[in-house]
Amino acid sequence: MKRVTWLALLVAVALVVSLTAPAISQQKVVKIGDLGSKVGVFEGYGKYQTMGIQLAVEEINAKGGVLGHRIEVISEDDDTKPAPAIRKAEKLILQDGVKLLIGAVSSGSTLAMMDVTKKHKTIHWNSVSCAEFMRTTKFHKYYFSNQPDSRQQANGLAKYILDKMGKKTYIFYTDYAMGQSDARQFKTALEKLGGEVVGVAGAPLDTKDFSPWFGAINQSNPDVLFLAFAGTDSLRLMTQLHSFGMTKKYKLAGIDCFLLQQDLQAIAEPMEGFVQLNHFSAYNPDPNMQAFNQKFKKKFNVDANIAAGAYDAVYFWKAAVEKAGNFDPDQVSAAHEGLCIDNTHIGRQCIRKEDHQVVMDMHLYRVEKGKNLPIARIDGKDAIGEPLVGQDPLKGFTWEIKKKN
Amino acid sequence: MDYLVAVLLPQLLHGLVFGAALGLLALGLTVIFGLLGVMNFAHGELYMFGAYAGIAVIGVTQSFWVALVVAPLLVGVIGAVTEVATLRPLYRREPLYGLILTFGLALVFREAVRQIWGGDMRRILPPITGSTPLLGMTYPNYRLFLLGASSVLLLAIWLFFTRTRAGIVVRAAVQDAEMLDGLGVDVRRVFTLTFAGSAALAALAGLLLAPVFTVYPQMGVEMILLAFIVVILGGMGSMGGSVIAAFVIGLAQSLFSLWMNPQRVAIAIFGIMIVVLVVRPRGFFGREGVLE
Repeated sequence: MKRVTWLALLVAVALVVSLTAPAISQQKVVKIGDLGSKVGVFEGYGKYQTMGIQLAVEEINAKGGVLGHRIEVISEDDDTKPAPAIRKAEKLILQDGVKLLIGAVSSGSTLAMMDVTKKHKTIHWNSVSCAEFMRTTKFHKYYFSNQPDSRQQANGLAKYILDKMGKKTYIFYTDYAMGQSDARQFKTALEKLGGEVVGVAGAPLDTKDFSPWFGAINQSNPDVLFLAFAGTDSLRLMTQLHSFGMTKKYKLAGIDCFLLQQDLQAIAEPMEGFVQLNHFSAYNPDPNMQAFNQKFKKKFNVDANIAAGAYDAVYFWKAAVEKAGNFDPDQVSAAHEGLCIDNTHIGRQCIRKEDHQVVMDMHLYRVEKGKNLPIARIDGKDAIGEPLVGQDPLKGFTWEIKKKN
Repeated sequence: MDYLVAVLLPQLLHGLVFGAALGLLALGLTVIFGLLGVMNFAHGELYMFGAYAGIAVIGVTQSFWVALVVAPLLVGVIGAVTEVATLRPLYRREPLYGLILTFGLALVFREAVRQIWGGDMRRILPPITGSTPLLGMTYPNYRLFLLGASSVLLLAIWLFFTRTRAGIVVRAAVQDAEMLDGLGVDVRRVFTLTFAGSAALAALAGLLLAPVFTVYPQMGVEMILLAFIVVILGGMGSMGGSVIAAFVIGLAQSLFSLWMNPQRVAIAIFGIMIVVLVVRPRGFFGREGVLE
């Protein structure tokens, strides 16, 4: 009799397990893709992009996912090159069936990805790259960005540099899509405001020794050296500028993403006084940034940075999907337009309908003892500029140096 | 005066620093050319081996200075083994065989390093930090050390070839190996030791330049092209010519950077090479008949 009772109990347990297990494991899944540099010159940015996505996805999944779907993230490395970015984007869309693709890090890769996301009608968020072509000539209806592009950054920085740092600027940039775009937009913004660009030069991505360029910089004798570099290029450049005494000789300013906060400590002395535009700093007392930083630090045990953009991108997409009520890319794209969400890393943010750019307040920071400390807040509406969808940002631009006497 | 101190002087120093290090690399290449009659395409990879061997030795000893001695010796041994195992059987064949072999060796060496250390860039921190105020400008101490060390090494190599019996034997082997063999010198041993010495010299250049240029598997490919130009300009097989050409290239590269983007300076360097080859095909100090 006892044996029969045990047997009955086992059968009952097996029945309960077999009936409930499918309900748990068969919760519908929606996949999203994370594409970017996971090794090499922009490794840091790609890794933090992944972390930002992971944090958002974990929070969303804990609250039931999106439209009852659990989100699954698939990460891929694009080797910081356009050709692998295309291959990996195709793989993520066609093989894995992602409904959202976030990336890339390098502007060259992001521009290449845009062809793929346009062709396969896939929602594409960019939270790191900043070349000006993305919301002009390359723009398509499935593309969205919450990374301030070169034009936004230049508008935000140029006035401060002219007012507070000096009139004569030398622009030194990394010679590929991102750096060229930053240099062009910064030169345009500075000259429009009456500043003088005394020299411009580009060095290839991943340059090992920058010293051959220093002679031309010294020859131009600028007040300000504006640097459009990122990742390990920035680290090497700053170390070398410092060893040649040039960090003390010139005032230095640079683009968003010039260096991650995590890298600043290692070269605190060369970076002292460096002014850069950034859309996140763990040392910004803004309550929204502090709240985000706390969550991020709790999970990863490091301060947040560029990861904030990728985190917000996932939430924008979630809000749009819920507004559309399905994952249809056309309907989700339409739902994005004009969409606002309240709890981003910098409070309420809205997507501009015309060019799908998030109108975002930014801060200028000055590096002091290895920390990015805020010195000014720039209203997103002042920096974003008018929509230029379909217009060539190179039209009328010249690299010619117009020297003033 | 300001222009001289703030602009011209640092560029001249860049040129000298780079020229001296390039001279070390090119010297080994030109000696091997004199001996084997072929360009050693794997020379850039021996330069790269020096940097990676340096990383390995620094990892164990925590000392750049120990690595500066041990790494070239290790690469010298690799050079000796390579010469005995692969090049020696080809000496009696057409030079083309040696050319193809060294090209293949370069690929094998590069991939071997990629397998062991991976493809990522690595840093070797300069053992000498800080900068020195120099005639009103600031110059990094390590680069000054690089200039001094390379110049001393070049001088030592010159003394070796001109003042020691071993050096004179190598020069004799470069000029006429068969005659030397006839005089009772073990020419095979001379070839092996010379190849090992040339590999060690390349490794030394690789490790000395590593704190400036960083370390990555392709680093040899980028330098070897310049070293080839130096050897051609200096005169194929001419050691003195190579040293002078290395300084000419270093200074030209540096000074041209004042007036054109350094990315385009390579075009000017090739321009110099073409002009020299048209006007004087044997290079600055090349023997008559070579490349003519």
